[in-house]
Amino acid sequence: MEYGQVIANGLMLGGLYACIAVGFSLVWGVLNVINMLHGSFIILGGYLTFFAWLHLKVNPLVALAPVAAVLFSIGFLVQYLLVNRVITQPVLTTLTLTFGLDMILYNAMNLAFEATPRRIVLDLGRLHLGGVILPYDRVVAMALALVLTAILYLVLRTSRTGRAIVAVRMDRDAAALMGIRVNRVYAITFGIGALMAGACGALVAVVFPITTSVTGLFLGKAFVICVIGGLGSVPGALVGGLALGMIESLASFWFGPQQAILVGFLIMLVLLMVRPTGLVGKKGYE
Amino acid sequence: MTEQSRFGRFLSATAVALTGTALMLSGVQAQTIKIGAPLALTGGLADEGRKQAIAYDMWLKRINAAGGIDVGGRKMRVELVQYDYQTNEQRAQQLAEKLIVDDKVNFLLAPFGSGHTKVVAGVAERYGVPVMATSASSDSIFNQGYKHLFGTLAPNSGSVENLITVVTRQMPNAKRIAILGREDVFPKAMATVMSDSAKKAGLQIISLEYYPVGVLDLATPIAKIKSMNPDWIYITGYSKDLVLARKQMQDLGVKAPVVTMITGPVYKEFIDALGPLAEGVTSASWWHHSAQFRGNDPWGSTKAFYDEFVAREKADPDYVHAAAAAALVALQKAIENAKTLDRAKVRDALAALDIVTFYGPIKFAANGMNGGRDLPIIQVQGGKPVLLYPEALKQGNLQSVK
Amino acid sequence: MTRLGGRAGHLVFGAWILLLAATPFIASNYFVKIATFLAMYAALALSWNFIGGYTGYPSFSTAAFFGLGAYSGALMQNAGLWVGFAWIGAALVVSAFAAILGFAILRLRGHYFAIASIALADVLMLIASIWAGVTGGGEGLNVKIMPGGPDFIGRVFLYTMLGIMLAAFVTTVLVDRSALGFGLRCIQQNEDAADMVGVNVTRYKATAFTLSAVFCGAIGAAYASWVAYISPVDSFSILLTLKVPVMVLLGGPGTVLGPVVGSAAFVILEETIWAKYLDYHQAVLGVVIVLLLFFLPGGLLRMLSRRSGR
Repeated sequence: MEYGQVIANGLMLGGLYACIAVGFSLVWGVLNVINMLHGSFIILGGYLTFFAWLHLKVNPLVALAPVAAVLFSIGFLVQYLLVNRVITQPVLTTLTLTFGLDMILYNAMNLAFEATPRRIVLDLGRLHLGGVILPYDRVVAMALALVLTAILYLVLRTSRTGRAIVAVRMDRDAAALMGIRVNRVYAITFGIGALMAGACGALVAVVFPITTSVTGLFLGKAFVICVIGGLGSVPGALVGGLALGMIESLASFWFGPQQAILVGFLIMLVLLMVRPTGLVGKKGYE
Repeated sequence: MTEQSRFGRFLSATAVALTGTALMLSGVQAQTIKIGAPLALTGGLADEGRKQAIAYDMWLKRINAAGGIDVGGRKMRVELVQYDYQTNEQRAQQLAEKLIVDDKVNFLLAPFGSGHTKVVAGVAERYGVPVMATSASSDSIFNQGYKHLFGTLAPNSGSVENLITVVTRQMPNAKRIAILGREDVFPKAMATVMSDSAKKAGLQIISLEYYPVGVLDLATPIAKIKSMNPDWIYITGYSKDLVLARKQMQDLGVKAPVVTMITGPVYKEFIDALGPLAEGVTSASWWHHSAQFRGNDPWGSTKAFYDEFVAREKADPDYVHAAAAAALVALQKAIENAKTLDRAKVRDALAALDIVTFYGPIKFAANGMNGGRDLPIIQVQGGKPVLLYPEALKQGNLQSVK
Repeated sequence: MTRLGGRAGHLVFGAWILLLAATPFIASNYFVKIATFLAMYAALALSWNFIGGYTGYPSFSTAAFFGLGAYSGALMQNAGLWVGFAWIGAALVVSAFAAILGFAILRLRGHYFAIASIALADVLMLIASIWAGVTGGGEGLNVKIMPGGPDFIGRVFLYTMLGIMLAAFVTTVLVDRSALGFGLRCIQQNEDAADMVGVNVTRYKATAFTLSAVFCGAIGAAYASWVAYISPVDSFSILLTLKVPVMVLLGGPGTVLGPVVGSAAFVILEETIWAKYLDYHQAVLGVVIVLLLFFLPGGLLRMLSRRSGR
């Protein structure tokens, strides 16, 4: 089989992976919080998109913006009201808190939506490019993922809020001294993380079946991608996502599907030991 | 002193009252048959667990409407004691013991998961409590020598052989088969059984791969399969894996004359989720609602079961629903035959059972599995599952997947 | 940090152990089983306490050690080794694993260490799935069934788990009072300073990590013998690995009794909640965790010792 298809698979997967991880990476890098809710946020976004499509006949790509907005508000509130209370405490506390919150969200979704896998039936056709087949919905999802990531990058670089976020990431105390309302920045960042998760969920709903049982999977991918790419930076998530997509695709081709996931984890472990800041990351939060 | 004696009298009065109540309650308890049911109401198998719950409820309502089960001339009502085991193995084990020791159930129903069934059976075996498995069709579930475990599903090999029969007869040119299985008890068993049987039938296995339990993407394994040009693509897994696989086959333009997914097409949610993509996919099943069995059970015929289910759920029942209800029917019949609730005698009655029900024949082999006969093969045609086998009930012929 | 009065605390613990050990004689098998799980979780919590409580490293390796112990014990038993030796052997295997891997991942800190420790479980689970020839892969592995009626088996495993818990407890007491314990606390306060002051940071961390593995391995092996069947997904369950730190946090990390109190409270809480709220139990548990973190920092022990007026 030509490597072309394998690489194309890897890139398309990688684009989605980048989107999955970028919100997670941002929250981790800026707030130093591992958000265990991230996987559930993605699926929630997916469900909202699915039901908008099912009941309101809204095209998922159109639903993306409102869904993302809804997730932003949820994320903002969760951080402002809950996570913020333990923000200065060690890793274990914040992680356990988001884990507890995740249990609540997971239970709620299970009750509201049931565990049946849902899929948006939307056949957009395929693109044939020199022997390689690229399904349109995946291409669109990947493109949008990249666009969103780019937008986020620009926002962080250019807008006032964005620069405040970067400032807090670099040095929280100095930022506070400069008059930045750190708590609000935290809440906005968490909100953005949730927004990206929701947007990703909308894209994922087009490509994968949505069910509550995969929240842990997405979270796990986010972990690996952040380590590979580097924390807290948007280019890091991009590089990490694309890298993981390629790694999994190639390993699956050479060894097998299970081995592919194993290789991903092993590479992550090796990177942790050798270069914990990841391929692109800067030395920063431990 | 007055205080003490008053207190003492209060104590003894309470003791008497409590004892009396306890006696009364135990007397009341003795009037019902309690069956314990650990259900996966949350967790990874929640969807499947719900199906069992529906089937149990249907049987329960019917049997109690008729006054209960006939135990040696006396009708006793049935009570189902249900708990959510959260698709968690430790919970399943704990619950089994709770149901037996604390809730004092007479008999047990097994949870949906294969591994969890084994763990529950282990507990039940020690207490000598008969356990009815409703969704276990893999030999490996019954390979620990437990004497109290009985399952209404026939072994995997039977369905696979029928599948091969249908395909080799109606599409003799389909010789190259690619197998992709999920690394999990039942799907893996279905993959290995197919691999063995296909070899025996003279088919060429061009690919045999397993994907992990938590899989997000199957693009590369499917692309690999495509490059080998199979005549027959055979994929096993749970609904969400199969929906993903079918969609990615479409994404990558993978085509083959025969596409089998175990057990996707049998379930409504698979067809709903895939829409037109489900067309042409074949599967093996353990029961089809168009069967025409008649039996001496609360429904009396397959059609009666089907009608009640459709009226209640507004959808067709699949084999999981039927096998779950059938497990309770088997237990009921065994109790009736044994004329007692004595566990050892009921266990022996189960082992000796040989009946026909709305679900089909029920006769357990030495290892506790139901015998397999004429297990149906279906294909999705026109958006609905159509029976291809057995010959007597055939509704259509195998069509090439477009 | 105040520890809940040495003598009084130990007396309470002794009474607790006696109560658990007495369950076969005073209560039904269901309570014996609950007592067994209480002992099991207490042992897991005490194990985690070494690396998470004293040293302050957020380890999520419990599932990795437990699962590895389960598979090692099962394979040894199936190969003919007597059950007791299989359990000990499994504990040794897991300790060796932790000691070797410890070197590699203990150089990481904070979140990175946390992730690496979670990854261990995922990697082991995948290996167990892939190496089907040895482990049975996704189909799982049957373990030799121990003969005996339910009462006998109930007692065997109750006392086994209690025994392991006692061993973990004694080890905790010894560590708590030793130079190791002191050194670990220093590392938690400020690792670099501890290093400069002369604490052998690398060795101490590795010891704590290995200690956190030993008993988990034994528990895993015992558990495998108990249920007579293990599979990759359930043996390396992420839920187990997340619950155990919560238990220690609930009770009081870095203390001798904290893990015991916390695990007992958690298990009892879970039993009562789950029995009452069929549909919502997960959410209720989540709420409990959240409330715990907001209102009980330092765990129950800290709250109790504050109430008793130091």
